[in-house]
Amino acid sequence: MKRAKSLVLTSLRVIATLGLLHGLAAHADEYSDVSQLVRAGKLAEALGRADQYLASQPKDPQMRFLKGVILRDTGKTADAINTFTRLTEDYPELPEPYNNLAVLYAGQSQFDKARNALEMAIRTNPSYATAHENLGDIYAKLASQAYNRALQLDNANAAVPPKLALIREVFVPNKAQRPTPAGSLAAATATPPAVPAPAAKPATTPPAPPAPPVAAAAPAAAVPAVPAAAPTPAPDTAAASELEAAVAAWARAWSAKDVKAYLAAYGKDFKPPSGMSRKSWEEERQLRISSKASISVKVDKLAINVSDNRAQARFRQDYKAGGLAVKSSKTLEFARIGGRWLIVKETVGN
Amino acid sequence: MALALLLSLHPANASQAKPLVRQVPAQQEAALSGDQLAEARLLKVYRLMASGRSREALDQAGKIVRDHPNFQLAQLVYGDLLAARFRPVKALGDVPAELATAGAGALGELRAESEQRVQALKQPPRAGTIPSQFLEISQKIRHAIAVDASRSRLYLFENRPSGLTLVADYYTSVGKAGVSKTAQGDQRTPLGVYYITSHLEARLLTDFYGSGALPINYPNVLDTRRGKTGSGIWLHGTPPNQFSRAPLASDGCLVMANPDLVNLIRRVEVGVTPVVIAPQLQWVDARSAKAAGKLFDDTLQAWRSAKVAGNLERVMSFYTHDFNSYGKTREQWSGVLRSELSRLQGRDVELKDVSYLRWTDSADTMVVTFGEVLVGKKTGWTKRQYWTRQSGQWKIFFEGTL
Repeated sequence: MKRAKSLVLTSLRVIATLGLLHGLAAHADEYSDVSQLVRAGKLAEALGRADQYLASQPKDPQMRFLKGVILRDTGKTADAINTFTRLTEDYPELPEPYNNLAVLYAGQSQFDKARNALEMAIRTNPSYATAHENLGDIYAKLASQAYNRALQLDNANAAVPPKLALIREVFVPNKAQRPTPAGSLAAATATPPAVPAPAAKPATTPPAPPAPPVAAAAPAAAVPAVPAAAPTPAPDTAAASELEAAVAAWARAWSAKDVKAYLAAYGKDFKPPSGMSRKSWEEERQLRISSKASISVKVDKLAINVSDNRAQARFRQDYKAGGLAVKSSKTLEFARIGGRWLIVKETVGN
Repeated sequence: MALALLLSLHPANASQAKPLVRQVPAQQEAALSGDQLAEARLLKVYRLMASGRSREALDQAGKIVRDHPNFQLAQLVYGDLLAARFRPVKALGDVPAELATAGAGALGELRAESEQRVQALKQPPRAGTIPSQFLEISQKIRHAIAVDASRSRLYLFENRPSGLTLVADYYTSVGKAGVSKTAQGDQRTPLGVYYITSHLEARLLTDFYGSGALPINYPNVLDTRRGKTGSGIWLHGTPPNQFSRAPLASDGCLVMANPDLVNLIRRVEVGVTPVVIAPQLQWVDARSAKAAGKLFDDTLQAWRSAKVAGNLERVMSFYTHDFNSYGKTREQWSGVLRSELSRLQGRDVELKDVSYLRWTDSADTMVVTFGEVLVGKKTGWTKRQYWTRQSGQWKIFFEGTL
C-alpha cells in the first residue's frame, strides 16, 4: 500500500514537473490522512504530515488550507491568518480561505476585517452560502456595535464575537465539473477533484451550483450521486409518498426552527460533513438555526428514487433567513430504518 | 424598498428623489469644516439611501463613522445600513427591541437631531437675505452670528463691503427646556441680541466643554430691565464622547461640534461680534434691512444734534423715565450729561461705525453701537445705547461706554 502510494506520488511529481497536471487520487489520500489526524485530535502529527507534504508541494492549496485549519485548531491564530491570507493571494478565486480568514478575524472581534474577507469570498463565488450566512452574522454584529455606539449604551455583548462557520476542507473546483460545492476529499475516491493550475481564473471556473447554508456550512461527503443499486424507474408509490412526507417534514421542522424535529430527521448513520463529529455537527446546526429570527425552506421540483430500503430525494431548495435567500439543488439520501425514512446523506448540487 | 423608508421620517423627502438639501461639490467639500463636512457627508448618505443605492450608502456611512466614531447619528444610520443587509429596516434607528428600550431617550434625540439637520439644510436661507435683526452692521465688525432655535442652527456671516454674507451654518443644541430664558436654572437658552464677551480656552475648562467656550453677555440690559436672572450662557463645544449633542441638551448654552466651535473662535472678536438668538429667524432682503436702518439714522442724528446744540432739556427728552446706566438713574445721568455738554461747548460730534440691531418681541428694541468722536479728533469713545419704541417714539433706556 505504502509503496503503491509513493509510486503514484513519484509519477505524479514527474507529471507535475512536466507542468501537465496537478492533482490525482494520491493527493486525496494524503489530504484524507491529514484530515483524519485532525479529526482524531492528533494536531501535532497532522501538522507534521502537512508540513512534510508542503516541503515538496509548497504551493498546494488544499494542504495549505488544511494547515491553516490545523493552526487555527491549535490556537495559532496569527499563523493561521497568515496561512489563509497567503492562500487568498495565491488563489484569489477560492472563497474558502476568505471565509476562514473572516472566522479568525471575527474571533478577534475584528469585524470590519471579517466583513471584508467575507465580501471577497462572495465576490469570488456569489452563491457561496456559508460566506453569506457568516456575513449575515457579521453585519448583525457590526450593526449592533454601531447601534450601541449611537445610543451610547455600554453593551458588553456588542463585543462578543459571533460564532461563524469555519470551512474545514477546501474544495478546489474541477475546471470541467463541480459536482458538489464543498465536497470532502476524504471520501472522494470515484472522482477526486483535481487541483487547479494556480493560473485558473475565476472567470473560467464554471458557475458553482448554489449551496444552501446547511450543506455548504457542513458539506456532505461527495459520493456517487446515485446509490450503487440503480434506482427503480417506477418507484413504489407508497414509499414515494412516504418520502415526500419525510422531505416536507424535514423542511417544515427547519422552517419552524424546531431543531429537535429537524435533527430527528437525520438517521444514526448520517455522516456529518467535513469529518465533524455528530455532536459538533448537531451543535452547529442548533446554533445556526436558533440564531435566525425566521427561516423559510421551500421544496420544489421534488424527484424521488426508491430502491428497497434506500431512497434519494432530489429537489430545488429555496432557503430564506433574514435577508439571505439561497436557491440550490439538494439531494437527500434516505434509508428506511425501523419503518422511518431517515436522512443518511445530504448533498448540495445535482 | 425598506431603505427608502428611512427618509420618510423627513416628510418632504418622501416623494422627492432629489432632496432639496445643499448639494456640495467635491472641491467645496474640502473647504468645509468638521461638522459641516461630516453633516454634508451624512446627507449624502441619506440621498444615496433615498435613491436605493444602499451599498454605496453603507460604504460612505462606514467612512464617516471611521473618521468620527463619536458621531452618534452617523453611527445610527450606519447601524441601519448594516442591518438592512440582512433584514428590512423600517425607520431611522430601527434598532432591536432591547436596544430601543435601553436607549429610548437617546434614540428619540438622535431622530430629532436628524430631523433638525435635514430641515435646516433642505430649506437654506434665500441668497441675498439676512436675519431681520441686522439693520446696520459697521464695517469694523467683521462677523455676525444668528441662531435659529427652531432649526437648531447657527448662521455665521462675514461682513463684507458688499454687506453681510452667509459663510457657514452649523447644527447647534440649545437648552433642555428650549428657549426664552427668564430665570436661573430654568435650562433655557436666552433670546435676544448678545455679544461675545470673552474666549475661554479649552485648557482652562473641563472636557465637557470641548474645544473651548465663548461666553455671551446674558443677561443683557434689556434682560436685566425685565428682571431676568441667571448667568454663564456660553457657546461651547462637546465632550470627547459626543460629536454633537441632542437638539435640546444644555442648561441654556449653545453647544456646537468642536470643529465648528474652533471655526467660530478663529473668526469672532471679543466684545464686538454680535450673537442674535431668535426663536425663528426672519430672513429679509439685505436692502430692505438697510433701508430700515436708514430710517433710524434720523433718530440717532436728532439725539446727536441736541447734544451738539448743548440743550440739556432737549437731550434729556431722548431718555426714558426708567433710564439706567450701570446703576445711574435718569437724574444722575442728567448730571453726567450736563458736565459733558459743558465740556463740549458746542463743538461738533461725529458718530462713527454705527451698528443697529433690532430686537422685536413684545417690545421693539434697538441696540445701537457707535464711536463718538469730536470732529477733528482721532479718538473718542465707543458707546452702546438701548432704545425702545414707546408710542411711536424711540427713547433711550440705557447708554454706556464700552
